[in-house]
Amino acid sequence: MSRGTWIGAGLLGLLLAGCQAGPRPIQGLNQPLSGLGDSQSPSLNSDWLALISTRAGSRAQVQLIDRRRNAPVPLPGLNRPDSLPISVAVDQRGERLALVRQRGDRSELVLHRRSLQASQTVPIEPAGVPQRVSLSADGRVLAVEVSRAGLWQVDLLELP
Amino acid sequence: MLGLSGCALLPLSRQSATPTGLGAESRQEPALSGDGRLLASLAERGGRTTVVLQERRTGQVLALRHLRNRQPHSSPSLSWNGRYLALLVQQGGRRQAVIEDRATGQQHPLFLPAGQEPQQLSLAPDGQSIALELINGGSRRLQVFSLTGMLEPDRPPGLRESGGGPP
Repeated sequence: MSRGTWIGAGLLGLLLAGCQAGPRPIQGLNQPLSGLGDSQSPSLNSDWLALISTRAGSRAQVQLIDRRRNAPVPLPGLNRPDSLPISVAVDQRGERLALVRQRGDRSELVLHRRSLQASQTVPIEPAGVPQRVSLSADGRVLAVEVSRAGLWQVDLLELP
Repeated sequence: MLGLSGCALLPLSRQSATPTGLGAESRQEPALSGDGRLLASLAERGGRTTVVLQERRTGQVLALRHLRNRQPHSSPSLSWNGRYLALLVQQGGRRQAVIEDRATGQQHPLFLPAGQEPQQLSLAPDGQSIALELINGGSRRLQVFSLTGMLEPDRPPGLRESGGGPP
């Protein structure tokens, strides 16, 4: 093997090593995601991916992908025909989902427990318009961006 | 502000994020660490939208020296112990996703194919994968990338394989 070939092989090796250390698309998960239509508001952990997807001609819906199966799981009691999801977050166990959604002319913050198939509306106090939500992976703290009198604020709520 | 709010299923303890600047300032895009100890959010600093990292309970602001001069920042996301902060920064005329390792001071830029503009991101709490919302040709798509081999895991203390972020 010539000196030039060795140098070329070395450079290629370095390039590949660099590629291996960089971010790599997870095809097993990206493939089903591509079939969901327009998607936004990701909330990712090692077992779950929550998102809002809009298929052509359909209303936006919250989806929860089980990363062990790379497939959506049903969310009975969460998506409603009279509401439009704006922001979603999921905890590490995939048990609690926090959601900001538009119902009629107002936005509301909702906490959903998947095992109970139950949602509760969380009051915004003092009154304001919720927009984005974050849930700690341990499911114990919720942070929500709220518009009050022209000012954006962040409310924090501890969950038992 | 601290109070209690009764709900049908869960009682909630409520507080506002401690202001970090002068008086009542605007705060947006909150992101909690996996353990809920840290809060990242966006505030205006010198007329530029800048990520602020703070202890949730005390409001103490933690330094992020490596992100200066790359505003506007957006879409912050934290790992479990807050070792990693992922966010979008301005790089020339484009938005770029970067991950700051608070334990080492290293910054990891995530290079995307040309024509794909990141709008939002979510870092998995263990720091081993990241979801990016990308705009391509007018449509919004999510893509998930593995970060194994690039970042050490940042897991809850009982599961941790490497050191967490600074206190």
